[in-house]
Amino acid sequence: MSVRPRHGLLVPRVFLGAVALVAAAVVSLPASSATPNLEGFWWPGRAAADSRMPELTSKLPAKGAAIRDLGAPSRTGGNFGELDVKEAARAAAMKWNPMDEETVANVCKPPSIIYGMPGPFPFEIYQSDKLIVFRLEYYDQVRVVFLDGRSHPGSDYPHTTVGHSIGRWEGDTLVVDTTHLASSTMMGNGLRHSDDVHLVERFRLTPDGKNMHWTQDVEDPQVLNNHGIRYSVMERRKGNNIPYECDPSYGQSIQQRGGQEPAATERK
Amino acid sequence: MGTRFLLITAATALALASGRGHAHHSFAVHYDSSKPTTKEGVVTEFRFTNPHGILMLDVTNARGEKERWTVETTSPTYMRRSGWTRDMIKAGDHVIVDGWAARDGSRLMRIRTVKRPDGTTIGGRQEAGDQ
Repeated sequence: MSVRPRHGLLVPRVFLGAVALVAAAVVSLPASSATPNLEGFWWPGRAAADSRMPELTSKLPAKGAAIRDLGAPSRTGGNFGELDVKEAARAAAMKWNPMDEETVANVCKPPSIIYGMPGPFPFEIYQSDKLIVFRLEYYDQVRVVFLDGRSHPGSDYPHTTVGHSIGRWEGDTLVVDTTHLASSTMMGNGLRHSDDVHLVERFRLTPDGKNMHWTQDVEDPQVLNNHGIRYSVMERRKGNNIPYECDPSYGQSIQQRGGQEPAATERK
Repeated sequence: MGTRFLLITAATALALASGRGHAHHSFAVHYDSSKPTTKEGVVTEFRFTNPHGILMLDVTNARGEKERWTVETTSPTYMRRSGWTRDMIKAGDHVIVDGWAARDGSRLMRIRTVKRPDGTTIGGRQEAGDQ
């Protein structure tokens, strides 16, 4: 089996180390023809509410509340939609200043996959029987999902923006269980999940294989009294990621806002 | 199909919203999509890099004073797919930028289109989103 996916992906140098490890596993462990083939380039899409899959929605918790993008007012007003936010987390979120994110030090820190993966950027999937790899265009992040039956590591294992993911097939649905996610924004308005957040995702192809529906179930008892949920749809397209390679000087430009530079206003 | 399944599905259908339209560097934080603005000036710098590109523009205001504007683009990974390249704009170019004003009234704006003085559009049009 070739490691080169059918959509003709070219791997940027920045990921050669990580992808080489994965590629070795993919070569030795070809995907079973009986499992759905998620491999390819996936573009953010939309789906009408009536097209959502009961195989996915039925697995979401009854107390789940949508993690919504509520627009500008939610950025500063502490509006968290139907999420039942614990008081300490709410108080911390209310102290958030969006300009604190837009600095040279912070602007190139990616959010965790809870917020970053459902964003408006594509991703690629590589698949074998024992590994599934998500390459996100957003911040060039790489997720490895182990399907070999291993457990999550102990609490001392590093917490990162992609966490530690183990997966299994439930029929035609890929279920991915992720822990060890470092605290990060949950909805872009100061509300952060904790280091102890537990994420369960389900991925399932439409019958024609052209779309992939996907849910997030976010459980974080330190932050939420209920679960946060998202439903996303991806479209299978030809193409590949474009390297992101973040430039922190963006933060300086936004902080200075052009007009505030000393030499910005000059008599002609 | 059991009652519990129906209840959960119905509740979930009501609760779920699209996960799209957000990103780390939010349009809504800095810009007002109801405030269109246009600036004409000379480019002093163009950085075609993520998370968002930056175009620095010297604009002569109505009082004859030169103002330095920071003009933000969407993500260059998106721009590349709409035909943009990093060398489409160079320092010294005279351009007319149409887009959205900053909420705080500072000399910051977000690009929708960039044109040359002869009306030629540079690259593709950008939308008021968070890419």
